Amino acid sequence: MYGTEGGIDMALEFQSHIPILRPSIHARRANLTVKFQDLYGFTVEGNVDDVNVLNEVREKVRQQGRVWWALEASKGANWYLQTQISSTLKSSLTFSALGNAVTLKKLIRKGIPPVLRPKVWFSLSGAAKKKSTVPETYYNDLTKAVEGKVTPATLQIDHDLPRTFPGHPWLDTPEGHAALRRVLVVYSFRDSDVGYCQGLNYVAALLLLVMKTEEDAFWMLAVLLENVLVNDCYTNNLSGCHVEQRVFKDLLVKKCPRIAAHLEALEFDVSLVATEWFLCLFSKSLPSETTLRVWDVLFYEGATVLFHVALAIFKMKEEELLTAHHVGDVINILQKTTHQLFDPDELLTVAFDKIGSMTTTTISKQRKKQEPAVMAELDERLRRLNSLRADNK
Amino acid sequence: MATMGHNNLNAKLVLLGDMGAGKSSLVLRFVKGQFLEFQESTIGAAFFSQTLAVDDATVKFEIWDTAGQERYHSLAPMYYRGAAAAIIVYDITSTDSFTRAKKWVQELQKQGNPNMVMALAGNKADLEDKRKVTAEEARVYAEENSLFFVETSAKTAANVNDVFYEIAKRLPRAQPAQNPAGMVLVDRPAEGSRTASCCS
Repeated sequence: MYGTEGGIDMALEFQSHIPILRPSIHARRANLTVKFQDLYGFTVEGNVDDVNVLNEVREKVRQQGRVWWALEASKGANWYLQTQISSTLKSSLTFSALGNAVTLKKLIRKGIPPVLRPKVWFSLSGAAKKKSTVPETYYNDLTKAVEGKVTPATLQIDHDLPRTFPGHPWLDTPEGHAALRRVLVVYSFRDSDVGYCQGLNYVAALLLLVMKTEEDAFWMLAVLLENVLVNDCYTNNLSGCHVEQRVFKDLLVKKCPRIAAHLEALEFDVSLVATEWFLCLFSKSLPSETTLRVWDVLFYEGATVLFHVALAIFKMKEEELLTAHHVGDVINILQKTTHQLFDPDELLTVAFDKIGSMTTTTISKQRKKQEPAVMAELDERLRRLNSLRADNK
Repeated sequence: MATMGHNNLNAKLVLLGDMGAGKSSLVLRFVKGQFLEFQESTIGAAFFSQTLAVDDATVKFEIWDTAGQERYHSLAPMYYRGAAAAIIVYDITSTDSFTRAKKWVQELQKQGNPNMVMALAGNKADLEDKRKVTAEEARVYAEENSLFFVETSAKTAANVNDVFYEIAKRLPRAQPAQNPAGMVLVDRPAEGSRTASCCS
């Protein structure tokens, strides 16, 4: 059995074993679709250009690694932790801490090297702090305590294990299934309001691949659901998710008015595609390294980044979307775009430089504004369904 | 809504049913002719399109394959709003999934498009030895509720295309010629009868 203390070192293992692909001249000429493994072991399909982009991304990741190591050498290991003090003690802010905070924000938007991700995410997201408030043995104790228990959540988790990134060389193995099962089952007992929500399987799976240990993946999932994301995204009727979708629609009207007007004329509700983006945090739509670059920023800057990224996907394809005349065409454009975004910088540059600023405060206000409407809508639906049932008795 | 023009029909179709009943597998079988033992769980919904030739006309289905977990039901109206057809899927080896299917039928009868063509599909018909819902029980229920009923197997492909063809045949009759809501005019013929574009 895979122990909670042991490391799986998935990311590293994959990087060292995956050969750099050199597409042949024939493949180039034929513009063939080829299958290849990406940085985290996922099999993806693309053309030769995509393979080249992915090789460039690998090189950029290596360069970014050198930048991070150089900073550790000059500022000391864990230098990035000093920036956290600045948020609580603003008055006594030192120049070096402020400087570090600015450097760190920029640096994180350029990407955390996969090798450093576990450490940096764990500290900066607040997962380390969350873990430190409970006894050392919390995760192991809970794992043992819930072993063999059967609940609606565990049944649904079991059902989804082989359906979570099927074919992945580690996730889709008995070992991978067992690790993912424990993380999800233990979390379902930690928060019975959430229990298990489909979508979390993909999120937890990717966290396992990044964090290397099951216990760290568990704490990342906890901090994500309890602190980073808006409340109730995954509970009962997904009310938090409904709120986010309404906020997103308003933002699209403000930030991309031409697209919003065009899609409205087509009677295309953007939630049709964006719901999955927000619930899976893009893990089902974007290539893995691109998803994880989004998560780098998510864990440091908060859930606002999801709006930036979702808006950027629409913005990048503005002209093409404006020529679409059918709902199906719109969806095809968006899905093709997300699946092929192998270069994370292409997406993140648009997300942060072309969307304009959106502060957490503004977003929070918008959420507050939408909450009553969402609650009213969900209550109304429940009432209608209950009356249906009463009629039939 | 199903809309007509030059003998071509665009029809929005939604699949509803319990988690793991095989909604995505039915669509994958119909659109790509494939079957995967473990189909990725659907979050929100996945979109597919497929064009069929029925008699002299073509029907282009715009298919919304929805997530089955109960908490996702609050999202369902977004997908069945304006749909011309629905396939309600249950798993013949699970009575719970049949109960869930009946709830979907109720909801669509009250909240959906009144002219919606509805099919009830008892999937996983290849698992005869694990059967919990008899075909007779489902047939009686379907007749009472004027649904088209068939047992399917996405695994063996049994009756899968038939469900979609039967819906396609029933569409023009069920649909008034002019329908103001959700009209999409088709101004070009659909490309071929088996062109499929698929996204997951």
